[in-house]
Amino acid sequence: MPDAPANAVPAIDYVGVGFAYPRPVAGGDGAAVEALRDITLRVEPGERLGILGPNGAGKTTLMRITLGLLPCQRGAVRIFGRTPEQARRERLIGYVPQRSDAELAFPISVRQTVELGPAGRLTGFARLSIDDRRRVEDSMSLLGIADLAERPVGKLSGGQLQRTLIARALAVGARVLLLDEPTVGIDVTGQRRFADLLTSLRDRLGVTIVVVSHDLRTIAAASDRVACLSRTLHSHVAPEGLTPAVLAEVFRHDVEGVFGEVHVDAHPAADCDDPAHHHHHHNHDHAKGGGGA
Amino acid sequence: MKTLEYLFGSPELRETFWPPVMVGLLVGALCSALSVPVVLKRMAFVGQGVSHAAFGGVGVALALGMVAGWAAQGTGLLAVVTLFCVAAALGIAWLSDRPGARTDTAIGIVLAASMAVGFLLIRAVAGRMREAGLPPPPGVESILFGSVLNVGPADAVLAAVVATGVLAVVWWYRRPMLFWAFDEGASAAFGVPSRAMRSLLLIVLALAIVVTMRLAGVVLATALLVLPGAAALELSDRLRPVYAIALAVGVLGVALGLVLSFEMNWQPGPSIVLALTAMFAAARVCSTIRARRTAAQERPA
Repeated sequence: MPDAPANAVPAIDYVGVGFAYPRPVAGGDGAAVEALRDITLRVEPGERLGILGPNGAGKTTLMRITLGLLPCQRGAVRIFGRTPEQARRERLIGYVPQRSDAELAFPISVRQTVELGPAGRLTGFARLSIDDRRRVEDSMSLLGIADLAERPVGKLSGGQLQRTLIARALAVGARVLLLDEPTVGIDVTGQRRFADLLTSLRDRLGVTIVVVSHDLRTIAAASDRVACLSRTLHSHVAPEGLTPAVLAEVFRHDVEGVFGEVHVDAHPAADCDDPAHHHHHHNHDHAKGGGGA
Repeated sequence: MKTLEYLFGSPELRETFWPPVMVGLLVGALCSALSVPVVLKRMAFVGQGVSHAAFGGVGVALALGMVAGWAAQGTGLLAVVTLFCVAAALGIAWLSDRPGARTDTAIGIVLAASMAVGFLLIRAVAGRMREAGLPPPPGVESILFGSVLNVGPADAVLAAVVATGVLAVVWWYRRPMLFWAFDEGASAAFGVPSRAMRSLLLIVLALAIVVTMRLAGVVLATALLVLPGAAALELSDRLRPVYAIALAVGVLGVALGLVLSFEMNWQPGPSIVLALTAMFAAARVCSTIRARRTAAQERPA
């Protein structure tokens, strides 16, 4: 899957996506609050993309648009050629929320949690299909939590809980995994293990992985390619390209994004021919070759 | 044993005491099933707001009845109170859905305002009805704390219909409801209509409160919507046992409370709440002892 031909349908295709919140936020001047501007980005099937951005950069908005929970006010998003709403119906995206979101005092076991992925929408007499049932078991074994299946989620370690939430996302048969701040509260060793886990999932299932985080180390360890987000996309680089110079540029944009007008055209790294971007433009095939190990 | 005499004695006694017992057991089962999500979603205070709205609802129903020229009793009163409660529930849901909203403030205001409106209207209507020589409306105390003598066969039928309907709806939506309750943030991404699930839970809460208030009163209806679930969660961290224990606690608590009320000649509402509180305390003691024992076993290893 990592070697998908260039003309394949992209896993996610953002074309000029823009979004503004109509309601003024506290302390705002009453005008609509622009959260995203002109996001153009192509996520290839089987790639591990990191979206790096500080708090308030629009990460959550971009995720909610991708999941079909917010409308795309400007531009368009396609997931394997489908609209986000269709993609949700066809269960193309598996969402892994921040671990702190779930109600951990809940009397629910690991298996019941994973089953909610495919079963959460079922009502009345509907039952899980045989395929879904098999996927629930397969996802648990793949993530090494099969022996914890009957354990209540409140008694899991942080890493085990995260594996449970990833299994829940995979149990719907998703082709894209979307992870929201996956390493909050995980130490450095845990982060490295987590990056290895994502790599093995990509290699074994061919699943496309998008990690959204404000944490530079997480993004660097878990991605083949990095997109820096601060209202708009600022740069696309291989993780090795996240040099102090590049970060300084991102932070400069971040600062100017708050205080003044800054507009940097965002291009997929592969066809970025703006000379100004060349100093951080690394060959991205090289990164992919390294990531699959 | 007055209980046996009331339930199996003369036909008159049986006619008076079987309806509240039936309503009590049905309401116990209904509320305990809802108490699990209420406790887990920390909605106990929401229930408090909705149940106190019922008091305002009674006042409005009586006033409307007087204006329209009919004595607001039975079905008409119940319909208005139900509408009032459902509106209050949805109002609370709407207020708490906005970013940065303070749910507790909204509930506090709804609660206090409907108590004030209810109290004034009920007093005014009672005065006018006394002047007109009509039978008095239900007293404030019986609305607040419930009364066995308020409960007739029609209430038993109504409780049965509401309990069956609500439990069927909750069973039908059990999986989206579970997903929403467990992980509200992620559930929408998996296609669960999470906003609808919140509204649904609030509506069935309002219905449960309306059928409970005749027996246990407005103030005490929430106890039935909190204590069984809270006790069950002390004793188990598995889904089916939690629901089974909550159901047992709810039904047993009502039965025990009614026996207490018959034997000691206490009001049924407070008696039921005391019985449920005692059961919760027992569950708490059990779970504390068990936790100590587990800790002691783990220490030497």
